[in-house]
Amino acid sequence: MSIPLPSGPDGYIKDDRANSEFLVPRKAFTSPEVLAAEREQIFNTCWLYAAHASEIPKANDFISRRVGGRELIISRNAEGELGAHFNTCSHRGAMVCREKMGNTKRFVCPYHGWTFDTGGVMVEQPADTGFPDDFFSKGTKNLRSVAKVDTYRDFVFITYNPNAKTLIEYLAGVTEYIDIVADQSAVGMEITEGNHEYSMRANWKLLLENSADGYHGLTTHATYFDYLQATNGAFRTDFDPATMAGKCVDLGNGHAAIEYGAPWGRPVAQWVPQWGEEGRATVDELKANLVARCGEDKATRIAEKNRNILIFPNLVINDIMALTVRTFQPVDAGYLEVNAWSLAPSEEHPDVRKFRQYNFLEFLGPAGFATPDDVEMLELCQQGYQNLPEPMWNDISKGMSQAQNGVNDELQMRAFWRQWNKLMAA
Amino acid sequence: MTYTRSQVEDFLFHEAALIDEWRTKEWKELYTEDAEYLVPPTENPDADKNTALFIINDDKHRLDQRAIRLTRRTAHSEFPHSILCHLITNVRLVTDADGKQGSNDIPVHYNQVVYRSKRQITDTYICKVRQILVPEGDSFKIRSKRVILAADTLRPQGRVSIIL
Repeated sequence: MSIPLPSGPDGYIKDDRANSEFLVPRKAFTSPEVLAAEREQIFNTCWLYAAHASEIPKANDFISRRVGGRELIISRNAEGELGAHFNTCSHRGAMVCREKMGNTKRFVCPYHGWTFDTGGVMVEQPADTGFPDDFFSKGTKNLRSVAKVDTYRDFVFITYNPNAKTLIEYLAGVTEYIDIVADQSAVGMEITEGNHEYSMRANWKLLLENSADGYHGLTTHATYFDYLQATNGAFRTDFDPATMAGKCVDLGNGHAAIEYGAPWGRPVAQWVPQWGEEGRATVDELKANLVARCGEDKATRIAEKNRNILIFPNLVINDIMALTVRTFQPVDAGYLEVNAWSLAPSEEHPDVRKFRQYNFLEFLGPAGFATPDDVEMLELCQQGYQNLPEPMWNDISKGMSQAQNGVNDELQMRAFWRQWNKLMAA
Repeated sequence: MTYTRSQVEDFLFHEAALIDEWRTKEWKELYTEDAEYLVPPTENPDADKNTALFIINDDKHRLDQRAIRLTRRTAHSEFPHSILCHLITNVRLVTDADGKQGSNDIPVHYNQVVYRSKRQITDTYICKVRQILVPEGDSFKIRSKRVILAADTLRPQGRVSIIL
């Protein structure tokens, strides 16, 4: 496939390490041909987040959702084995599942009545005549399954690529950060009730960049900090602002994370005065349990640090004032869909769950005190690219001249773009 | 005392006008000190705000801060302010099984459509609203406003940066 982007010695990006300059072509955000190539070379080859195991805990549980632009059923069969199948009838193609989630023994295609079990096996159809006896017994009329499904710490990933390396190899260094999320519970994390399904009139890569961008915090989110200042007890009283500088790490295969001190309350185990003395006892106990399970150093890291985790190409886990799992996908070059959830320890104390869900919305979500302003910035970028072809390049150089990158640098975005470039130029 | 639909409508229209005219600091004064302003998840209008992830879950403090935030130039999503229009209809005063109104808490149900226009795009929010009003002088205050989005997702609006 020919990709209509300027191509140089570094591929489609300019990765000038000698001069510490990193440039990305703006046309990568606007071109339908680039998006078509991304579907082929990224969304059809990488591992993609599909679900959390807690959403489908029992045999015959199912979810239907779009993953990487394709309509899937993610389900457990009657034996409880996890599978992912294309939500399209093997007969004439109608979607056989129209509910978002549930529990069922059968998916019945509403068009002609072809019927499948939760493992995708074709089990019956209404006609007595017209097919040879063994027509349906060869397995060729089952729902088509995706190439591979695998789970890491209850995060369910799929890939459409039969030749994909294993999930664990793919995740590379980001497993350390997923572990820190999964280790927040002694018995297992869960997706809580409710979700945020929204959209942005912007290219999907803009949201990836934005989701772990410390540099924009004070300008884009000035009103969020105003809100915290106006809220009694929103900050920990002994907070050391120096810890906000944090660190930024490239975790391989396009994954990256930033990690930094949290001035605000964290329901995993960092109390702030806003939660009152009663809340303090509960949160102190959580912290003690965490220390007993993970040791002092790791427990403190889990409790007191924020993490924004980017998992290539389109999963973000932000472990900040609450814990969000956010995935997004392009609909067209200038429009993306987002699905986001609140993740929590399944054994969480009701008071802490209440803080968590309240906290989540002070920053995150389509009506939070911050996310709508992110949407605005991304849409302003997308509209700014209407000026093409004149200003051609975005600059992502910040921190490139430094040995170490902090939260306000842009190493995490360079990690993404280098992997993007590698896959697109392949 | 029994309240008429007209009295309640006058109040609801007044609230809508304050929102549409971006008089958010006056808007927040319509709420009681123990007020809540909620937009529950689209799949469960009756969800519990203490356990489920809502779209909006404001107590009076956060409602006040939301109102103040929207007056600032740094509330980027609403700078310049979008153009708003609330249409309110199907107003019903909800009575108990004996057909009686509450004397203090007055539940009111209504439907509304909110149009938000900015940068040549108009987004539409179709809502079923449940309010609990309390008498205040010869008018009311709002103790609870639960805005149920009559939609299965927040696509294509993408955000609720306005007051519904």
